[in-house]
Amino acid sequence: MENSFTPTEFIAVVNQTLEYAYAGVTIVGEVASFKVNQGKWVFFDIKDEESSISCFMTLWAMRQPIEDGMKVVVKGVPKLTKWGKFSLTVSQVAPVGEGSLKKAYEMLKKKLSLEGLFDESKKREIPKYLDKIGVISSTQAAGYADFIKIINARWGGMKVVVAHTQVQGMDAPDQIIRALNYFNERGDVQAIAILRGGGSKDDLSCFNDEQLTRAVAASKIPVITGIGHEVDESLVDLAADVRASTPSNAAEMLTPDRKEETRKVQQKMSRVSEELMNGVRQATNDNREKIEKVSRGLLTRYIEPKLNDVRKTMSDILLNIKREFELKENDLKQKVKLLSALNPEVVLKQGYAILSGKISPGSVVKITTFDSEITTLIQEITKRRKDGKEG
Amino acid sequence: MEKKDKNLNEKIAELDKKVEWFYSDDFELEKAVDKYKEAASLAKEIEKDLTELKNEIEVLSEDFTK
Repeated sequence: MENSFTPTEFIAVVNQTLEYAYAGVTIVGEVASFKVNQGKWVFFDIKDEESSISCFMTLWAMRQPIEDGMKVVVKGVPKLTKWGKFSLTVSQVAPVGEGSLKKAYEMLKKKLSLEGLFDESKKREIPKYLDKIGVISSTQAAGYADFIKIINARWGGMKVVVAHTQVQGMDAPDQIIRALNYFNERGDVQAIAILRGGGSKDDLSCFNDEQLTRAVAASKIPVITGIGHEVDESLVDLAADVRASTPSNAAEMLTPDRKEETRKVQQKMSRVSEELMNGVRQATNDNREKIEKVSRGLLTRYIEPKLNDVRKTMSDILLNIKREFELKENDLKQKVKLLSALNPEVVLKQGYAILSGKISPGSVVKITTFDSEITTLIQEITKRRKDGKEG
Repeated sequence: MEKKDKNLNEKIAELDKKVEWFYSDDFELEKAVDKYKEAASLAKEIEKDLTELKNEIEVLSEDFTK
């Protein structure tokens, strides 16, 4: 009875051997006989044309919906059950191939849509000017390099915190979820960018993971996705607050363009200068009006009466001068008239004569009349009476 | 000292605030020249930052595989 086992012992030894030989096995096949028991246990077969393996897993571990006929990849550990039945305990399962991926995508999209995970009303805006952002991507990915290149070209002074994760394969969703949780716990970034460059449908299928989609929708910090190309739509894209078509596009959406911003700053200052000048012009006009108003008031109230006084005074002065002038003029005329009367010529014309020379008997004197001069000898001089009588 | 601590985004926000004053009811011509000088100086600083500032990239050492 050497090397004999009880059934339990034998099953335990076989399982140990299997676990040692196939710690983790990946199998690709088609799903058959899919069923969920008690809302938590999942049973299905994975098969090809010739063979079939029973699979068991928890519903919680199923990250994308599957159904009969779908091509899937499963990761698990082979195991012999206590009933001696061979089974694969599955830790991960995911659809593969375009048809299965599309089917799983549509099924999960419908389910999550009904829950409101993709509602537009839940989308938050990402601030225009960011000081700090979180990036979840593979630092080896071309998409990540494009993103960094573009943000550096467009903007400066921003802190970019990068969580390096896988962005492809069955382990990627959990890594991305951990990075999302990390940034949400830190709470110091204003936006989280999930980035991955282009790839096949299978490459990008990790972004249709249910738990990852839920984690993105539940993130306290706004999430922007830049996954694949424009035509690639994932459930994570739909759950994100902002969807960029590519990592480069995400960089453009997260950062203003420094040239454009410089132009805006210059425009702002130009408009302010104009506003300031308008203010100055307005104030000048306002003051001019005020000055004119005050001037008019001053003129009417103070200057005009004074001017009238001045005018009257001037008028009086002029009148006095005129009178004075007239008086002087009359006086002058009188004097001229008097002088004219005293003119010797006028006297001679009236018949008088001028006697010149020594007035004594025997002297020769000259007698001047209006039209002749006479030289004569004085014979006798007698005294003349002033009453006209001879003396 | 306070000015040195402001980052580019804060400076842009401050400039916007200063610019808004010119269009607000608070506008006073007596204060406008000084306000304009302040805004112009800040605008110059922002333009310099826009030309010279670089982003800081930090790749976390955390392991997200576990």
